[in-house]
Amino acid sequence: MSDERKPRGVTRRDMLRSAGAAGVTAVVGVTSLPATAETPPVTAVEQTTTSAPMAREAYEHLTVDEAVLLEAIADHLIPADEHGPGAVDAHAVRFIDRALGGALSNSLDAYHSGLAAFDRYCRSSRGGSFTSLSHTDQVSALIDVETGAATGAGAGFVGSSAAFFGMVHDHVLQGTFGDPYYGGNANFVGWDLIGYPGVRTAVTENDQLRLEANELPPFRRSAYEWDNFEKASVNAGRKGRRHGD
Amino acid sequence: MPANLRYMHLALVGLGLGLGPTSTTAVAQSGIHTIVVESPVMASGETMPRTYTPDGLNLSPPLTWRNLPAGTREVAVVCADFGAGNPPPWVHWIVYGIPATASGLPEGLPIMSDQAMPDELAGAVQGHNGWQRPYYRGPAPPAGTPHLYHFTVYAFDQALLLGPGLTREDLFEAMDGHLIGRGELVPVYERFAAPE
Repeated sequence: MSDERKPRGVTRRDMLRSAGAAGVTAVVGVTSLPATAETPPVTAVEQTTTSAPMAREAYEHLTVDEAVLLEAIADHLIPADEHGPGAVDAHAVRFIDRALGGALSNSLDAYHSGLAAFDRYCRSSRGGSFTSLSHTDQVSALIDVETGAATGAGAGFVGSSAAFFGMVHDHVLQGTFGDPYYGGNANFVGWDLIGYPGVRTAVTENDQLRLEANELPPFRRSAYEWDNFEKASVNAGRKGRRHGD
Repeated sequence: MPANLRYMHLALVGLGLGLGPTSTTAVAQSGIHTIVVESPVMASGETMPRTYTPDGLNLSPPLTWRNLPAGTREVAVVCADFGAGNPPPWVHWIVYGIPATASGLPEGLPIMSDQAMPDELAGAVQGHNGWQRPYYRGPAPPAGTPHLYHFTVYAFDQALLLGPGLTREDLFEAMDGHLIGRGELVPVYERFAAPE
């Protein structure tokens, strides 16, 4: 049997190899999502109706419930496991939230409507919010969103549910493996996960040999710690603050 | 119109296309034995429960079969929609390597790689459906258009010893010359547009 005919893996290792497959796991409780973008963000100390962990930090463009749901999805896509931390530990959702105020601002409505539609879909098809479902039912629901099967289920996805999944998938990858300057890849967990040795403006032959021998220690610095890299305007409203705070 | 009659015309179309179970006369002519395929939760021409679709839990449905031909060594199951796909059919599920001792598939076969198949299906493999996934995904037709879903059971005169990841086309190529029995269950599913 040729390699390309092997079943698509749902392990994180397979996902990291292909940067395309969907991985799956589970997280925690959330109440129903408000459908408005005007709901002010709330800090993580606010109690919900469940005893489950909450979004770990304040978000500016996502509500608490939206952030918890998005973190639960991210935790399926790149779960923490025996190989190391995952998307939640990398603060991938923080990256997304910050970017929704800048480079990804065109996706803000898509996140609000998509997360609300996903919540409706889980409740109508599986009888509860995503984070209240069993691990298997969470996986099943995500598969249906990814394949577009949730589109016609009356949940009100704007466009295909697959488009929403693809958007979230791409942004979680960016938030996990992108430069920490943008708010994700916290403590360089994403770069460590894939063995990326870090940004180097010069690489010696000895460095290359050590890298190939897996002996090169990682150089944990953002690219923007070098003046010769231009800083992008992630959020024009964050006056006086460095990105990555 | 009662639901079980509403889709009867679709079943008749399916039979006309030669997609339904073979008749006794056809068995004598082709040598392919007719397997009786049934389910405790659905019937040919009737609406599939939403539990087995993405409108519900999207579990794989339970199937049973009987009247396997003598000499059966292995069984396979394919679920296909001949009204979808480019070209048709769109494959929703494929399971092969099923022991000849099995008399059906239980509800809810695994969708994750770390979940084992039931003991009675030891050796069975879920191949690649139209989404290139090794598990069942149920009907999701466009709203307002009922579709037929052909759950076809195949019996072979030897173990085909197939590895993982096969498609329906791969299975058909492998079964060439070894098919000795075939049977089918054809329920219907229709989605309805959400109210305004």
